[in-house]
Amino acid sequence: MFDLKILKDSLIRGDIEKTEELAGEALGAGVPAKEILDKGLIPGLDEVGRRFQEGEYFFPELLVSGEAMKTAMARLKPELSKAGSTTVGKYVIGTVKGDIHDIGKNIVTMMLEGNGWEVTDLGIDVSTEAFCKAVRDSDFQILGMSALLSTTIPRLAETIEALKAEGLRDKVKVMVGGVSVTRTYAEQIGADAYGRDAVDAVTEAKRLMVKS
Amino acid sequence: MNGLERMHKALKREEPDRVPHFEFLVDKKVREAIKPGLSLEDFHTYMDIDGIGLPDKNTAWRYELVNEAENLYRDQWGAIVKFSTEAGGIPQEPVLKSEQDFNNYVMPDPDEDWRYDKLRETVKRFKGEKAIFCGVTDVFDIVKESFLGDVIMFMDMIRNPGLVKRISESVLNYQLKYIKNCIEVGADFFFINGDYAVTNGPMVSPKMAAEFLMPYLKSIVEYVHKERTLLIKHSDGLLWSLFDQIVATGVDGIHPIDPEAGMDMGEAKAKYGDKICLLGNIDCGPLLTWGTPEEVRQATKECLRKGGKGGGLICMSSNSIHSGVKPKNYIAMVETIHKYGKYPLEDHFDNLVVPGSGKWF
Repeated sequence: MFDLKILKDSLIRGDIEKTEELAGEALGAGVPAKEILDKGLIPGLDEVGRRFQEGEYFFPELLVSGEAMKTAMARLKPELSKAGSTTVGKYVIGTVKGDIHDIGKNIVTMMLEGNGWEVTDLGIDVSTEAFCKAVRDSDFQILGMSALLSTTIPRLAETIEALKAEGLRDKVKVMVGGVSVTRTYAEQIGADAYGRDAVDAVTEAKRLMVKS
Repeated sequence: MNGLERMHKALKREEPDRVPHFEFLVDKKVREAIKPGLSLEDFHTYMDIDGIGLPDKNTAWRYELVNEAENLYRDQWGAIVKFSTEAGGIPQEPVLKSEQDFNNYVMPDPDEDWRYDKLRETVKRFKGEKAIFCGVTDVFDIVKESFLGDVIMFMDMIRNPGLVKRISESVLNYQLKYIKNCIEVGADFFFINGDYAVTNGPMVSPKMAAEFLMPYLKSIVEYVHKERTLLIKHSDGLLWSLFDQIVATGVDGIHPIDPEAGMDMGEAKAKYGDKICLLGNIDCGPLLTWGTPEEVRQATKECLRKGGKGGGLICMSSNSIHSGVKPKNYIAMVETIHKYGKYPLEDHFDNLVVPGSGKWF
């Protein structure tokens, strides 16, 4: 009987190679991929998220665990495919036009990928038109936008309005985040969710998928 | 007392004639709205600003055009950066793809004479009159943004710490030579740019900060002090858990006591005001962008009351006077500093926070 706690602990430690190896061993021992995910990897990543939000883990620890999750997921993917869908959903992300600092967006991207999302990163300085085009041309479930500066925050509302004007608003859920963005502001502009930090963003993305 | 004397006193935690003010960046749009047609230097004279800042990224780094349509440039370290509609170069692609790349890497030459042209001009105009601050990008920031990229840098701090330290040492050597040259040309003070924290807290644990951040900052501080100049460390974000370590490196001042991260000038004064000069902390986010001049006047007075007693305060924005700042708000801030920042502050305020008292309110 394979002990999934060892896998979970390896992920929490951020041991990328060991976590991938253990995921493979678990498969070899006959544990279903879905069970490895649900009882080993996801509880591990939840614990990493808790430690990050409580100030015990910082960006380096969060990112190596995120990478460990990603590599282990890649190992499980063929088996998960046989059982059905391999991705949680499709997420498109970007920092709004005129903005600097993309560190928050990069870490959210990494954490989403670790949690099984297929993420398309449009990068920084992304125009309203480019966000609309991405939503129009593909089948993303969630659009995530980041704005750091008080001068660029209005771009979030502008993009939501542009999505409405083009009849695309119902096609996608919209999440926003960034230093000066607040939950109240997110509600005011009609976003579906607000991510306070990378871990919160993943939780909110999951919640949106349950709701939709 | 002139701007240089005022700034020197404040950094030494002595009372000047009034609390000094300067900004590292005052956007041209704001300057033009306040007094059209002035050069940056003339604007500083017009507004009676006590110091002038020269960010190394803008005045002493070389950029090579890569793609005009996309606004992509190669910075002097070899990374691809994008100049956005609002801001300076944003990292797009770091220079190193592997550890091997660094083995063959040739550092830029800090001794190239053109790097100091702007500083020479500034020295000629303001030496002995206004404080001349040379901006030096933090070693951590350069390694993170230009050499490795943020995600790889953070992971390498765990997985390949030796590489992070090797690159940091090389960048430190460059910066020490840059500082030496700036001092020879006539820089008065140094301002180390580069964040260690975000709004919720530091990017790395205090333990990692001690290993990867502080040794390089300390080396720069020691060099600057050996040359009998002074240094300020800037970092946005919620910095409390790293504050003791930063103070222990010997920095003379810390900017900006970030109000958007919930940091309070009074708390900083009460805890650290007997050890270092505090710089800041007028919010350049919502307050200076969307607030009213009256709200700015109130916030500036609170900053003076909380941080000014005994000297040791340079009153300035929490980051810069960027293009979104309302010009009348910047005017309100400067006028308030000039009017209510005159010592003795007891003439203007009750309940001044006492440096190092541990009590703030």
